[in-house]
Amino acid sequence: MTVRADTSRELATRPLVASVRDLRVHFEAKAGRVHAVDGVSFEIRDGETLGLVGETGCGKSVTARSFIRLVPTPPGIYAGGEIDFWSTVARRTGVGPIDLLEIPHKEMLAIRGDRIAMIFQDPGKALNPALSIRSQMAEVFYQHRSEEILMSLGPDVPWIIRRAARQQSNSFESILLKMPPWRAKAAGLRKKVDELVAHALTETQIANPRKIMDSYPHELSGGMKQRVLIAQALACHPDLLIADEPTTALDVTIQARILELIAELQERLETSVLYISHDLSLVKEICDRVAVMYAGRIVETGTTEEIFSNPAHPYTRGLMAAVPSATHQRGKLAAIDGTVPELVDPPPSCRFNGRCPYAVDICRTVDPSDIDLGGGHEVACFIYETSLDSSVRPTRERRTS
Amino acid sequence: MTTVSADTGAAQQSTDDRAVITLRGVEKYFPIKEGALQRVVGHVRAVDGVSFEVRPGETLGLVGESGCGKTTLGRCISGLATPTGGEIYFRLSDSDAALLDEIDSIPESELTAEQRKEAARIDRHHGIHQLSGRAWRTYRRNCQVVFQDSFSSLNPRQLVKDIVGRPLRVYKESSGQDLTEKVVSLLESVGLGRQHLYRYPHQFSGGQRQRISIARALALDPEFIVLDEPTSALDVSVQAQILNLLHDLQKERGLTYLFISHDLGVVRLMSDRIAVMYLGKIAEHGTSNELFEDTRHPYTDALLAANPDISAEKSEMRGLHGTVPDPANPPEGCRFHTRCPVATPACGWEVDDAVAWLQTNETLLAGLTDVERRSNFDATLVFGDAATAGAVGDAMRNGDMPAPMKAALDDVSTDETKVHIRFSPVEPVELEDIGGGHLTACVLYTSRGTG
Repeated sequence: MTVRADTSRELATRPLVASVRDLRVHFEAKAGRVHAVDGVSFEIRDGETLGLVGETGCGKSVTARSFIRLVPTPPGIYAGGEIDFWSTVARRTGVGPIDLLEIPHKEMLAIRGDRIAMIFQDPGKALNPALSIRSQMAEVFYQHRSEEILMSLGPDVPWIIRRAARQQSNSFESILLKMPPWRAKAAGLRKKVDELVAHALTETQIANPRKIMDSYPHELSGGMKQRVLIAQALACHPDLLIADEPTTALDVTIQARILELIAELQERLETSVLYISHDLSLVKEICDRVAVMYAGRIVETGTTEEIFSNPAHPYTRGLMAAVPSATHQRGKLAAIDGTVPELVDPPPSCRFNGRCPYAVDICRTVDPSDIDLGGGHEVACFIYETSLDSSVRPTRERRTS
Repeated sequence: MTTVSADTGAAQQSTDDRAVITLRGVEKYFPIKEGALQRVVGHVRAVDGVSFEVRPGETLGLVGESGCGKTTLGRCISGLATPTGGEIYFRLSDSDAALLDEIDSIPESELTAEQRKEAARIDRHHGIHQLSGRAWRTYRRNCQVVFQDSFSSLNPRQLVKDIVGRPLRVYKESSGQDLTEKVVSLLESVGLGRQHLYRYPHQFSGGQRQRISIARALALDPEFIVLDEPTSALDVSVQAQILNLLHDLQKERGLTYLFISHDLGVVRLMSDRIAVMYLGKIAEHGTSNELFEDTRHPYTDALLAANPDISAEKSEMRGLHGTVPDPANPPEGCRFHTRCPVATPACGWEVDDAVAWLQTNETLLAGLTDVERRSNFDATLVFGDAATAGAVGDAMRNGDMPAPMKAALDDVSTDETKVHIRFSPVEPVELEDIGGGHLTACVLYTSRGTG
């Protein structure tokens, strides 16, 4: 939240962490090809929080999952575009970015959970109910910090312990504990991992981390489970944290605490955050920049101040008017009529044309391109296309049915 | 249909001096069963003594976090669950309500025969769980529900025509072509049409399914509708459409709503009056404006502070510490005191709070072996060794125990490995009128705190 004070200009000069260009993710269905994500481009800069807002089915989660290639293929198809990612090391050494959609699976495994981590929507489903919190957290360290753990055990580590650490196998580690010759070393291994886990849990302000470590997910409340997930995601101090509606399943009072925690950890660990949400009012509170998604495309991007004080796209305007606020008096809301269009083989057009009060012929036949309104505020709407002749251009004044 | 209009017509004559729904001390306890014999070992107090009334044509909003009992209360009112205590009255006139108040204020043994007879009459005619078969049917048709999840509340194997027409069939209102026409007009009133008659629920979007639910609820032209989070599963743009629809229907048909939600913005938009629930009890109750502009309960304050608001200039969202306590063993005094940022010594501190405080300190908690309770306010903490017991005693007397809890401690004495603690006993905090029908259950604002 402190980053919010920075001006847009300052944000724009920061180094890039990720750059998404023309990302297309499609799904093969019986009825045809569903264009779930259809030409999405945005950038995430160092230390910023980018909010990706949109309604159900607009493709925001698929976009997020593409970062760590979690979209199941098939039926998913990465149909085009690239996601460039600069890790801290790459940025320091001046090495170019890696394309997350192109790198081999093994490299992806090394990045997932280490350089890019994700917090999922439902903490109840994201944790394995059969494993203790300790062993679920330990997995992260076995996966990404095995060298560090081995170093701490001293120089004369038997090969079998080395193997145990590299194989990322929890069960193997517990079998080792029962083998007399290596018991001392294995106990050391266990102690080191316990320390790492406890430290990660303490960072998320969990009181009594040692007690939590030995409990199982069902013993914890929703807020506590989400804290564990955050601890797990931030355990390796990732460069990019993807938060996919992390508070939707929580009560408002708990939600506020979780958001405070994410903001505080983000500042301390200098992590960039891609925050996905359907809740505009929440995004307004926590994000530096906002990208509004509709039906697989980004319709508007800009700084939070700009988007909320001066929304340009008719969809953004409609969405904001439809959010009930605690300061609203009793009465009616300005709703957007109609429903989200089908995304099966859509024709070139503005996806919002069926619900837009200003739509004219051009909106129904041509894809709008992004128009820069200055200050990093971009909008994909023909209203702002000044090069177009005014007779074919939609205007906010003229309403056509 | 004629019977309906005659029925509502009769009701309309006297709408001014009666409430549609009156709750008096409603309780719903769920038994906790254990062991092979399923012995009852305790009760989850989902709803614990709730009283309010809903007047004709108004909307009462019921807000609270998950697990506070708001849905259970809605189910009790709609007759889907039977309260274990208290009574819900339908169309209770103000004079009868006053009579019940009077009877309640007299001890059971001192009631005259006349008063007993009166009470029995009111119960029989208005208390919904003692109604005769016929009156019960009248109640059921006049009190409809719209549920949160339109996936599970619409039968996936029935056509829309059957779903919406079902209440009309059950109450033998119409059949055949007449039924179809009635269903069409109902569908039209919720923004759907004839083309949707012969479709299944899965062919509709979430917003449309919720419209079908609303059409079904309207089928019998009810007086009162319980809306149990009707929009929480919907997107904002669709939510706005549904809220507007509900608003219009209320104006057209003079409906009375009980609007249950966890979203303060939505509740403010929809409600004339709002009741805030916490752990089975009402914490604050007042008109929407009073509640939002002149909040008189720290829990409402906390909800407002935690609610992200799109129209606010710049707000810092503040959350609450801790979690909602176990409703099987609710805290003494004010139920909110365990999480309250402005708690006083008079809020009902008890042994559980002291133990919960110990849990924040790993070394002290590790030494705790047993808690011998004499009451919720009086107990002996047994520790493994005298040193820890001494440390705990010291911490309680002059350490970092929260100030209000420390002030509520009457007595702390250390005896070898044991620490005796005694809190001053406190009565449960009840709702109290603080002027103009604004009720709160907080000692800071009621006579108990100032007195």
